[in-house]
Amino acid sequence: MTGCGKGLFWGKKLLVAAALLAGMIGMPGPARAESPEAQPPPDPAALLAEQNAALSRDLRRIHRELAALRADMSRPGLQEVFAGIGYIMGLFGAAAFAASRRRDKRPPGSADNDPNAPDRGQGRT
Amino acid sequence: MHISDGVLPISITVGAYAASAALAAWSVRRTRSEELPKVAVVTAAFFVASLIHVPFGPTSVHLLIPGLAGALLGPSAFLAIGLGLLLQSILFQFGGLTALGANALMMGVPALACGVFFQKLKGRSRRRQSLVGGLAGALGTALAALILALLLASGGEDFFGVAKIALAAHIPVILIEGAVSAFTVAFLVRVKPELLAPAFVQGHPRQPELNAPPQEPPDSPAHG
Repeated sequence: MTGCGKGLFWGKKLLVAAALLAGMIGMPGPARAESPEAQPPPDPAALLAEQNAALSRDLRRIHRELAALRADMSRPGLQEVFAGIGYIMGLFGAAAFAASRRRDKRPPGSADNDPNAPDRGQGRT
Repeated sequence: MHISDGVLPISITVGAYAASAALAAWSVRRTRSEELPKVAVVTAAFFVASLIHVPFGPTSVHLLIPGLAGALLGPSAFLAIGLGLLLQSILFQFGGLTALGANALMMGVPALACGVFFQKLKGRSRRRQSLVGGLAGALGTALAALILALLLASGGEDFFGVAKIALAAHIPVILIEGAVSAFTVAFLVRVKPELLAPAFVQGHPRQPELNAPPQEPPDSPAHG
């Protein structure tokens, strides 16, 4: 018995969904023609199913938007990029500063007599 | 191409950390202080290059320039790549902090290999240099994909399957990187050829402090 009732319920739900779909598309679907239950007294189950369908559609849309937003937020923005570049420049600047201090402590003339200093002027055309 | 947290077994993670720390220390020792600005610029370029996404089918892969970094920096490339990956994992959430060692190995070893490759094979002519540079760029990414497969194989994956997928997914990146590297090297050969000669293979004569006796005593209290 319960199985039969359940089947009837599901059949109604299907019918309502089909009717909704046909209404959404805007063509006179066959579902509306052969549904004898679309009588004036509004069926509470049908109403419920309709609301359910609408709600779940909205919920799905919101879920999709949420996922898109999350993917968008996990993408690095301009702020992170410049932060990283600033870190790199700062770290290497500190390293260069330390190296130059260390070189200044050394007796002068030990490191600046290399033949291939960068100002050869060879690469210019 | 980043390995995330918790993919690799712990022993491999720790081993990769140790190996990459050793390589980074070697790389720091080989970096001359006059080269620091160049290393910084290449590090920044490597850091930012991962944001250039190449759409590929349903997904997208991004540029990684280990080959170019190796060709430009030589032994300092590992330092540059390690720092770039550290900042990427902190700021961009690319890969994880625990997998940083493995990621550094995956990117840094191809960079060093490409540096050696470029220095050994670059000839004198511009065309040959840019050609070898492009090859180095392409080779870097391909090697990185292979190392990725090797590392994942240690976690129980099938080596050939992963290698095939990783290589196939990165074919467009390999091609684009070859082109970018060839273009960059050709440009540098024209305007600043000194940049392309990192001290790699031969002990460069510009390092007098290696065989000089350590003269460190003069750190006297100079507060006078």
